[in-house]
Amino acid sequence: MSAEILKVSGLATSYGKIEALKGVDLRVESGKVTCLLGPNGAGKTTLMMTIAGILQARRGSILLEGKQLVGLSPANIVTQGVALVPENRLVFPQMSVRENLLAGAYQRNDKVGIAGDIERMYTRFPRLRERSEQLAGTLSGGEQQMLAVARALMSRPRLLLMDEPSLGLAPMVVADIFRIISELNRDGTSIFLVEQNAHMALQVAHHFYLMEQGKVTFDGTPGELAEDEVIQRAYLGTSRRSDP
Amino acid sequence: MDDHVVSVLSNIGVISFVALSAYLLLLTGEISFGQQAFFGIGAYAAAIATAMWGWPLAAGLMLGALAGASSALLVGLPTLRLHGLYFAVATLAFAEMIRILLELFHYQVAVDGELVGPNGTDGFGGIRYVFQNKIGAFEYMLLIYTLLATALAGLWLLERSRLGVAFRMIGGDETLAKTSGIAITRHRMIAAALAGALAGIGGGLYAHLTTYIEPRIFDIMLGVHALAYGLIGGLGTALGPLLGVLIDIGLLGSTRLFSGYRMIVFGGLVAVLLIFRPRGLLNEEMVHRIGSFWRRVWPTDPSQKSHGKT
Repeated sequence: MSAEILKVSGLATSYGKIEALKGVDLRVESGKVTCLLGPNGAGKTTLMMTIAGILQARRGSILLEGKQLVGLSPANIVTQGVALVPENRLVFPQMSVRENLLAGAYQRNDKVGIAGDIERMYTRFPRLRERSEQLAGTLSGGEQQMLAVARALMSRPRLLLMDEPSLGLAPMVVADIFRIISELNRDGTSIFLVEQNAHMALQVAHHFYLMEQGKVTFDGTPGELAEDEVIQRAYLGTSRRSDP
Repeated sequence: MDDHVVSVLSNIGVISFVALSAYLLLLTGEISFGQQAFFGIGAYAAAIATAMWGWPLAAGLMLGALAGASSALLVGLPTLRLHGLYFAVATLAFAEMIRILLELFHYQVAVDGELVGPNGTDGFGGIRYVFQNKIGAFEYMLLIYTLLATALAGLWLLERSRLGVAFRMIGGDETLAKTSGIAITRHRMIAAALAGALAGIGGGLYAHLTTYIEPRIFDIMLGVHALAYGLIGGLGTALGPLLGVLIDIGLLGSTRLFSGYRMIVFGGLVAVLLIFRPRGLLNEEMVHRIGSFWRRVWPTDPSQKSHGKT
């Protein structure tokens, strides 16, 4: 097994008395795309928010290349190299596209580097260059998702957390998003992805976890995932052709 | 200039400070019903300094600003972790507390054989610095507008700075701002202190404009107006709240256009705008549109030329 960038062990997070994560163990390999599947309410978003420091863990540890993230502020975690594209919270609607990108680089001070990165984002996402001075709230859903990804990348993360990037987007746009995910990964970013669209995730992810009711219930390669009957029925929608 | 006009304009200028104060907090997404408290604290502090301790006006105003800022920090410590409605209620409760404390505040000294100073509900009269130093009403109005222009310039710079961007991010989406690495509470404290200072200066100017202050002036209605000015005028620029003040005091108040029905018209205006234009007349979109129009008419940056192709 190759080196891991993120190692989560025994992680528990609660909302008041309700325990949303009941001891989660998983690892994200360096330079790979790891995908977390699971039904609504399984705790996927809670896990993402806990890794990003927005929710406080009650127990357990989150190690980023060996460094403990539990207890650090969200700001500090961004500085450590983790960026989150939160679910459904795409952009700052009252700010222009360019300002949104600058917002993503808030923790950085190198003006030249930031300007260079904005240029890189515009090259990767040409629509954002066209819309540079437009208010982000006026973009289409797909464009907003692109901007959300670009903004997260502006902090130069080593680990990118993406919470359901395909949610509510048209199939064409979803395909675009997944193309970008695999491009980013090819360029060396480790990605931890929450997704309900298992079909699309199978095309990009190297490793899968399934989470149900606050616990990891499956851990395997794409091949193993495709073989698993329960997952097939619940997430891939069809039983295998050879089945009667 | 006509005396009435000078007095209306002076009033508009002074009230603009408390409107800007509420606006600054609205930027960070906090609705405060308590900015009138800092206005009142600033008024009392500045008036005590000049009328009782014999300080010059500039020093008195500075003390007013300082008192506003430090009390805002003090209140902010327990309240700025609250959200939405809870914060609004907490600020309202605090402001009422301050008003009642001012009603109990007795501190008088003899100046030229006459007792001067806060005297509970009877108020605080004889704030005669402006009169004694032979500053005319027109000159005092100029002073108000000079300070207001300075405050606006400061806010203009602030909104273009990292700090201002952070304020807007927090106001736009707190969770998103957190994931971008912004320390929310610290930034809210800074905004609260700046807002307190603005209200404090405004209060100091107000005390010396009217020469008489009493706790009743700093009641909830002033706070509601301060908030409404930003909501009417717009949250896209610091000029928004000023537009709100202008509409209320300049148009509705001084022209007696709706005389007895003024508050009904004002309340209706707020309600209609909240429904149809929740971020006010000069909202971000409007400011943005004016900005791009401006850039098209007077292009300053030659690198923007290639823009025409797209």
